Amino acid sequence: MNNLIRGRPIAEFRRIIQDPVLFIGLILVVVFIIVAILSPIYMMVEESLTEKGQELFDRYLNSPVYRTIIRNTLEMGLIVAALGTTLGFLLAYIQVKVDVPFKRLMHITYLVPIISPPFAVATAVLLLFGRNGMISRGWFGIRYDIYGLDGLSLVLTLSYFTVAYMNLKGMMQALDPALDEAATNLGANKFRIFRTVTVPMLIPGIAGSFLLLFVEAIADLGNPLVMGGNYEVLSTRIYVSIVGLYNTTAAAVLSVILLVPSLLVFMVQRYWISRTSVVSVTGKPTGTPQQITHPLVRWLLFGAGLFVSLFILLIYGTIFAGAFTKILNINNDLTLDHFDFVINGYGSEAMKDTTKLAAIATPVAGLLGMVIAFLVVRKRFMGRAALDFATMLGIAVPGTIIGIGYLLVFNRPNEITLPLLGTITLIPKLTGGRAIFGGAGAIVLVFIVRSVPAALRSGVAALSQIDPSIEEASISLGADNIGTFRRITLPLIRPAFFSGLVYAFARSMTTISAIIFLTTSRTKIMTHQILNEVENGRYGNAFAYCVILIGIVLVAIVILSVAVGTTTGAEKTMEGGA
Amino acid sequence: MKKLSVITLCLLLAAAVAPVMVASPVAPVEAQEDTLTVLCTPQEDWCVAMTQAFEEETGIETSYVRMSSGESLARIRATQDDPEFSVWWGGPADAFIAAYEEGLIEPYEPELASVLAPNAVGVDHSWHGVYVGALGFCSNVEFLEELGIEAPTSWEDLLAPELKSNVAVAHPATSGTAFTAFWTIVTLKADELEAAEAGTGYDEDGMPTQAAIDNAFEYFSKLHQNILQYTRSGAAPGQMAANGEIAVAIIFSHDCVKLQVEGFEGIVVNTFPEEGTGYEIGGMGLIKGAPEPEAAKMWIEWALSVDAQSVAGTVNSLQLPTNPDTPVSDLSVKLNEVNLVEYNFIAAGMNRTAIAERFDAEIAPQPTE
Repeated sequence: MNNLIRGRPIAEFRRIIQDPVLFIGLILVVVFIIVAILSPIYMMVEESLTEKGQELFDRYLNSPVYRTIIRNTLEMGLIVAALGTTLGFLLAYIQVKVDVPFKRLMHITYLVPIISPPFAVATAVLLLFGRNGMISRGWFGIRYDIYGLDGLSLVLTLSYFTVAYMNLKGMMQALDPALDEAATNLGANKFRIFRTVTVPMLIPGIAGSFLLLFVEAIADLGNPLVMGGNYEVLSTRIYVSIVGLYNTTAAAVLSVILLVPSLLVFMVQRYWISRTSVVSVTGKPTGTPQQITHPLVRWLLFGAGLFVSLFILLIYGTIFAGAFTKILNINNDLTLDHFDFVINGYGSEAMKDTTKLAAIATPVAGLLGMVIAFLVVRKRFMGRAALDFATMLGIAVPGTIIGIGYLLVFNRPNEITLPLLGTITLIPKLTGGRAIFGGAGAIVLVFIVRSVPAALRSGVAALSQIDPSIEEASISLGADNIGTFRRITLPLIRPAFFSGLVYAFARSMTTISAIIFLTTSRTKIMTHQILNEVENGRYGNAFAYCVILIGIVLVAIVILSVAVGTTTGAEKTMEGGA
Repeated sequence: MKKLSVITLCLLLAAAVAPVMVASPVAPVEAQEDTLTVLCTPQEDWCVAMTQAFEEETGIETSYVRMSSGESLARIRATQDDPEFSVWWGGPADAFIAAYEEGLIEPYEPELASVLAPNAVGVDHSWHGVYVGALGFCSNVEFLEELGIEAPTSWEDLLAPELKSNVAVAHPATSGTAFTAFWTIVTLKADELEAAEAGTGYDEDGMPTQAAIDNAFEYFSKLHQNILQYTRSGAAPGQMAANGEIAVAIIFSHDCVKLQVEGFEGIVVNTFPEEGTGYEIGGMGLIKGAPEPEAAKMWIEWALSVDAQSVAGTVNSLQLPTNPDTPVSDLSVKLNEVNLVEYNFIAAGMNRTAIAERFDAEIAPQPTE
């Protein structure tokens, strides 16, 4: 019966229509995607193609200055992607294949950058290794000029390598150890296995991580603003053309130029790498991976892993210390002033607003991700692939583009005039202090748009591993679709749902490039405030914000794990049966 | 066909939901005017102190957003159909003149306008001065020693090869401070041209000529080689100098003194270019179409009072007050002690946007050798 439906998408579509709850779910998802993802991108592209925009395209693409800027952007992206992937690979390899002490602790330190706000790393690096750095100048007496490509590469690599690390670690753990064993039995040594078995099997993962990091790096706005020096990249140019000149056409044109490599990479990853994947994820490796035992290699790798851990600890230690001292490196007296500023002072508004909005966006993003995953994996209907693709655009497209697109679409009410009914406001004005909810609507929407893709991916990954017959059984026993989704599917993909929620919350709390254009007098956002503090050199306040932000994310993770962690009957049955 | 029906259904569904969404949350905030939204351009701590003081004085719930002068102008322009701010307080008057020129500001004459110096009152009472301050160089003493040079005392000094990548200034598109610096150079170049041949520096209306502006661009493209980075906000380079990231910051001298008072005494030193420096008259204006016009007018009346102008001292903002009855701190830089250029605010205001755009196109993105 299942096969019959697979062959007939329209029939399945009819079935969806017959189930009103599912149908409304699908409609909501489609409306969400059209309104929140596609329309801003469309408006931005349209703006860039106006006559004025075309002239600008001409000017930018033919100007040596802008060619340098485009080259800088790509160069930075490639360097960060290469460094980050290498680092991620190395650390993942140590975790999975080498028996070294403190593994678990090192693993935890590698995760920290994910939950930390932007600029935290950049500011700490500036204080430690900058021109007046506590280490570079304090210990070595060098005024190291960290502004520009070298500083940016370091900071962006540190900020984003975790993505590659997690990705590759997951793949390495899923590699069937039988392959290694077979190679060993055939007489290969460890290095040969590494070169001819491990690496080739991981190529898709390596390429995927590389591309992901590339996109993250070229889209990054906060770090180039803080330590770009005269190394100009596209994102900072876009920023100035909006905040300084409010030239939306110029911003749109530059955004489209930035969009091209991002989308290209996204397509390559989606259609090429996923097809060449040779890894068979069985879910359960058939044995434990063989460990590297060669002492020299082992200790060298241990040293490398430990070095990275210590470096991260140093960075976050600096942030922590800076939050409690008057002016770190100038006046090291202890103080709680900075926390007073964030908790009681004028910084408190941003803290409350951001947490509240992230808390609203998180469950919506998590559920939306699971619903889309469910539709994409379990249902067959026309436009299924397009649904997945369009959702993923939320993260494939640089944040600056989403932010400017929102300004273009939502800075006025969207109305249609219908016969008989007159003019109807479809979507009220969402951006700016005069909009509904003081402009918070657009910000929540951006939070959701940026978080759903990750929830979708983890949902898809989880669902693909669950046999549909379990759900079919539920339906045959008389449960409806929504009941089955709620009582069977959702509990089964609980870990994916949980990681989707955690990611959504962390992402919402730390995102900057998209919302920097959308904060208003009535809705202040922590990351934007941190940028203000960093730019004006009030590092203590910025660090206190960072510490509190990290604290909030950690608390949220605990709360989420308690809330989502309840084991349901369905799951117990699964565990018992397995 | 199926696809089409999905879209139609979506639209119908959205249409059904939308009125409900609109109806509930929009409360008529402006009806009672117990709130005020200020666009605030000076440093953040002063904005906080001012809005709190106003709130205590009037009971009006006052919120603000801090934006640099160019940013503010851009934002007001972008939101002119439905302004979110009612009053704009602080930042060089050039930006207010540009805004009035574009019809973004509504004239309003407060009672205390009469106590102000004539140059602190805009045409038609479009804006009023709230403070005054001179531009200067804020240098890190230790850094200069290391480079083996003295603190700069002329604009030419900033071009010294030793200072390569060791100077910072804000971006004139976002910052009024940086624009003041730019217009100061325009004025000096106009004076130079005028001295060489009458009529080449200034036109018959007393406006600096295009040649003077071009020469200023030439100066800034040379200076560009020495600039580490252009910051968004005007006072930010001062912090960079204080933290030892750069040797010299081009900022308002009161911001340098503020740093000295707030923990960087002996670390930064304040100097002035001897050929002449620019100055700002911090402006204030009522935004056209302001959502809270009555509260905004109350703010404008209040901001010229001695009480309001005394708030500055409490947060070490050492600009000179425009109300002559306000006590002046000993630490403030007195304008008669500095050689000032003949700063033509009106000409500056009228050229502001064009210069900001040209700077962003020609100077800022250039790579340095």
